[in-house]
This record gives sequence, structure tokens and C-alpha cells, in this order.
Amino acid sequence: MKRGIILPALISVLACLLAAAPIEAAEPIRIGALFPFTGSLAKLGNETFHGADLAREWINEQGGVLGRKVEWVKGDAVDTKAAVSEAERLITVEKVPIIFGTYSSSLSNAASEVAERHRVIYWEQGAIADNITARGFRYLFRTCPRASSFGETAVKFAAHDLCSRLGMKAKEMKIAIIYEDTLYGTSVGSAAQRKAQEMGLNVVAVEPYSAKAVDVSSLIMKLQARRPDVLIATSYMNDAILFWRQARELNLQLKAMVGTGAGHGMMDFAETFGKYSDGVFNVDFPVIKDPRVLDPKLRPSLSEFREAFRAKHGRYPAVHATAGFVGAMVLFQQVIPQAKSLDPEAIRKAALSLRVPVGGTWQGWGVRFAPPAHPAAGQNLESFPMVMQWQGGQLYIVSPAKFKEKEMILVPLPSWERR
Amino acid sequence: MSSLLPQLIINGILLGGIYSLISIGLTLIFGVVRIVNFAHGEFLMLSLYAAFWLKSLAGLDPYPSLLLVVPLLFLAGLIAHRLVIQPILEAPSYMQIFATVGLSVAMQNLALFFWKADFRTVESFCSHSALQIGTLVAAAPKLIAFGASALATIFLHFFLQRTYLGRAIRAVVQDREASQLMGIDIYRIYLFTFGLGTACVGLAGGLMAPIYAIFPTVGVYFVLTAFVVVVLGGLGSLPGAFLGGLIIGVVESLAGFFISPQLKEAVYFVIFLAVLIARPSGLLGQMGAEEL
Repeated sequence: MKRGIILPALISVLACLLAAAPIEAAEPIRIGALFPFTGSLAKLGNETFHGADLAREWINEQGGVLGRKVEWVKGDAVDTKAAVSEAERLITVEKVPIIFGTYSSSLSNAASEVAERHRVIYWEQGAIADNITARGFRYLFRTCPRASSFGETAVKFAAHDLCSRLGMKAKEMKIAIIYEDTLYGTSVGSAAQRKAQEMGLNVVAVEPYSAKAVDVSSLIMKLQARRPDVLIATSYMNDAILFWRQARELNLQLKAMVGTGAGHGMMDFAETFGKYSDGVFNVDFPVIKDPRVLDPKLRPSLSEFREAFRAKHGRYPAVHATAGFVGAMVLFQQVIPQAKSLDPEAIRKAALSLRVPVGGTWQGWGVRFAPPAHPAAGQNLESFPMVMQWQGGQLYIVSPAKFKEKEMILVPLPSWERR
Repeated sequence: MSSLLPQLIINGILLGGIYSLISIGLTLIFGVVRIVNFAHGEFLMLSLYAAFWLKSLAGLDPYPSLLLVVPLLFLAGLIAHRLVIQPILEAPSYMQIFATVGLSVAMQNLALFFWKADFRTVESFCSHSALQIGTLVAAAPKLIAFGASALATIFLHFFLQRTYLGRAIRAVVQDREASQLMGIDIYRIYLFTFGLGTACVGLAGGLMAPIYAIFPTVGVYFVLTAFVVVVLGGLGSLPGAFLGGLIIGVVESLAGFFISPQLKEAVYFVIFLAVLIARPSGLLGQMGAEEL
């Protein structure tokens, strides 16, 4: 008799559980994706999002986060005004617990302000302006390195690696720094200048210029007169092309040329100059191709990630897509599962206690977020740009040693006619 | 430092040649049709792309392809004039400004849509050649552009002075109504002059293709300087545009070196203002030519 009751009861309870479970699991986690999807920044905004979206797909195939599928709620941040209003909408109307974005520094700056006010997590993985993490925000986290570290890395690379290759003492080396004069160039270039002065190096010229200039011959003549050994340049695409063309026309002889992102890292640079791009260095977010330098426990593995991206987009992921992927994976794979909830306080705690050693992400970076009292609160202190070099139309990592893909070549640069 | 002075002046003159080349078409349109053509830079962009596509699709070197690019731009100018400029010829000038700015934005975005934001470059047979005398160098494509700029100025000057059509154009400039009474069809003159002006920028684009990177907003980089050159030289004056271009080029080169690359625009604008205060109609402009 007893048995007769228990069994049906048990069955009905189980049935209820079974019926209820899929409903629970079916409710997805909704995360705001704030990027410039249209407008003048759309190209790289979408590229970053593609990387992040691949992370979402992968994690959903693995059963999701906290047993729930992840879903984006898109916000289109065409300009700073739209970034603010879209962040506002994502938080108050869509009620997302986390905003993921934004690629552009000015957009990130404006939108994160809104998130901070509403105590919503702002997860940044592409914008590099220093001031984003210099405001003491509590709900802001940034996985990628800062602009100033680009300039500092270039100077350290010149003073250590290039000096020893050139057989010079660091103090003998003449360094020139040029940068385009908007926020991007100024923050990288002035950080390079500060670092060089701090290290007591011989800086023979510091020249800001306008990226809209149609002629940089006078800048090159100025450099001719100062005869630098190493030039550190921060340029957008058009001015990077113009400078290198006119440098060749006017026969500017350098022992090494170190770009710091943007113009010197894009394929257009190699396509324009062919063999004359060979030997040019570029300090930037890395794109790692050799999985052996990374943590072997990484899932998906580097090649799985690269092939999945290629299957979807017809080419291997470039810098921005990789940064988007890394940012999203850290959030989905490490932070939220650790927090065990979507409560912003729990996520903050999990993020701040997270420790991933160098080599533990697909960009080689580790993860350790600076606590609120730190001058760069929310900054990932284990992320750093790497030094790459154009060789045969491709960029290869040459420094730091742990991630080196190829030995550097063409140091010192031969004269133009012998390249 | 002073040993670099000759090279700085050469750089300035060669750059000035490029400014002149862009400005002669603008000064024609400005001086004759009396339209402030803000889309001038986009016609430059169009001709750069024409040179690029002729090179990448048909393998034509940018110099021979000028034979196609220049007529093509003449045609583009006729079409733009018919569709956009003609209907607003009698409209207030701010309407005309809105129309040409609109044309400029539309052309930029169409180029962005069809040709993407990629940076393209064109190689020519003489891309890597240079004339070298002692320590002084002048890149071949820039020398050619400079020579073409001087020739085009002379050619157009004689065309305006000596031919019937040229005289008719000048008659329209001097007195719209009287020239109509003399049997000149002023609308055809406007149409032709607008076409001629864009053909000039077609020449500029073809000659600049081996020198500059090509992208949808490239025109914006040049158009403001071209306006300065035109006003400095005197509205509608071809020799003025040529001279104005050279002055701006040399000032830019010297200011960039002796003052700062960042301030070179500021320096030439100061000089520009000073010239306008002393000579309101520009260096070689006729008094009153800016008024109809």
C-alpha cells in the first residue's frame, strides 16, 4: 500500500523536475554588447564583436554559463552620444547585468560612466586610452593593455633588444619620437618620451604632427638633421604610408623603425611597401599563431579558435577579433562561473580574485585586475603589448622572448637601395 | 641646418605643384560658374580611384591611363552639373553650398560603400625613380606632376585668352547679361566650364595616384588647401592658382622644419590672412572679380 503511493509520487516529482529543468535552463543570460556596429568605426567595431561572438557560440555549445545559454542584447554606439544613450537603454530597459564593449576609447569612456552610475559591470576588451581605468571606477574591468604601455614597450625594446643587436650602449643610442597629435598618438608618444627620459636615454627629437597632413617632408628633414638611430612612431594608416614613402624618397636612413600600433600593424602597410616594409617593428596586441607558447590546458585550443573563426569569416582572426574573444572568454569561462551568479557585486569579487598566469589566454596575457585602490583600478595588470616585425609581408612576434616566433632581421636596416 | 635649405625649398615647390594642380580646376569653377564647389575633393578621389581601377583591372600605368581618366572626369563633371548644379544656379549662395556639401558627402559614402575603407596604392613605372643632383633629390612622380601643373596652367591660360570659346568664358565672367545679349549661351558655358574644371582635377588625380594612398575620404585632405590657394591667388586667376600653390607649398615645407610640423597650417593661414588684408582680391585677382 505504502509502496503504491510512494512510487507514483516519486514519478510525479521527477516528472515535474524534468519538466521544470528545461524551462529553467532555457532562460538565457542576456549580456549587453555595446559596439559601433555602424558608422565610421564600424569596421573594427564589428571585427571585435565577431571574436566575442565566437566565444559565446563556443561556450553555448559547451552547455552555457551557469547552465544557461548566453545571448547578446546589441547596442549600436555610433558616436559618444549614441554610446551613452544605448548604455542607458541596455541597463534600464533591457536590464542587462553586464555591458560588454566597446573597441573605441572615446565611446568606452562615455558609456562606462553610465554603467558605473547604475552599478552595472562594464567589461572592456579593446579600448586602450589610459584614462578609462584612471577614474577609480568599481564596476569597470579592462582585459587589454593601456596606450602608455605601447610607448613604454617600444622604448624598453629599443634600449635593451635593439641596443644589444646594434652593439651600442643604451645611452649612446639616439632616439626620435614622432606621433600624430590626437588623443591616441599623444598618449602613446608622451608615454614613450617619459619612459625614455626616466631611463636616461638620448632623445634627439620629439615631434607631434597632424595625421591629416598631405606632406611630411619637413618632418623627415627635421629627422635628417638630428640623425636618430631609432625612430618610434605612432601613426594612423594614411600618415604611416605617407611617412614611409617620403622617408624613402628623401633617403632617411634609420637603424630601426618601431611603430606602435594602428598604421604600422595593418596589412595595408605591407601591401603598399612590399619588401620595403620588411624589418619595420610594430608594438601591438599580439596575434599568436604558435600554440606551444600558451597554456596547453586552454580550451578551445588556439588552433580550434583560429579554425572556427576562419570557417565563419573566411580568414584567420586578426588583432581585434582576438582581443574580443579573449575578453569574452575570461568573462564566460572564469569570472561568471566563479561568481556563481549575475549579481554585480559577486562578479566584481570573482574578477578581483581571478589569477591567470601569463600564457593563460589566447593572446598570451595573464589576468590580474587592479583593485579599486590602485591608480589603474580595473585594469588587467598582466596584459601587455608585444613587439612584432614585418618579415616577408607578415608580422611575427620577436619580443618578449617567451613568445618569440622569429629572430629579428634587418637590424640595422640596410640603405634603401639595398633592401 | 642651412645646408638642408635647398632641399626644403625643392620639397616645398614640388608639393606646391600638387596644390596648384588641384586648384586650377577649382579656380575655373569658382571664377566662372561662381559655385563654391565643396565636392571638388571628391572628384579628386574619383579620379584617384579611376587610376587605381585602371591599373588593377586593366594593368594600365597611371600615366597612359590619364587619356581615359581625364575625359571620364570631364563627363562626370557634366553629369554633376546637369543634375546638381544647374538647378541651383540662380539660388542663394547658401543653398548652393548645401547642395555641393551634400554632393560631397554622398560621393564619399558611395565610395565607402562600394570600394570599402581600405587604403589602396598604385605603382607606376617611375614610382621609385628620382632625379638626384649632388645631395638634392626630387622624386620622379612629383617632378612630372609639377611639370604637368605648369603646362596645364599655360595651356588653359592661352585657351582662355586666344580661342573663341575661351573668350566667351571670359565674357561670361565679366558680364553675365551683356554676354547673353551678344548671343552667348551662358548655361552651355557653365556646363562646359564645370566639366573642364573636373577634367583638371582628373588630371591631378591621375598624376597623384602614384604619390598618395587612395581611400574614400582622401579628397577632404586636399580640398581646404585648394580653397586657400584659389583665394590667395585670386578668384578665377589661373596663374594666381599656380603661384598660390607654390607659395603655400614652400611655406608649409619651411614652417614644418623651422617651426613645427604641427603648426605649419597655422603659419600659412596667417600668411593667407595677411595677403588678403593687403590685397583683398588675392595676389593676381582682378579687383571686383569676386562680385558679379
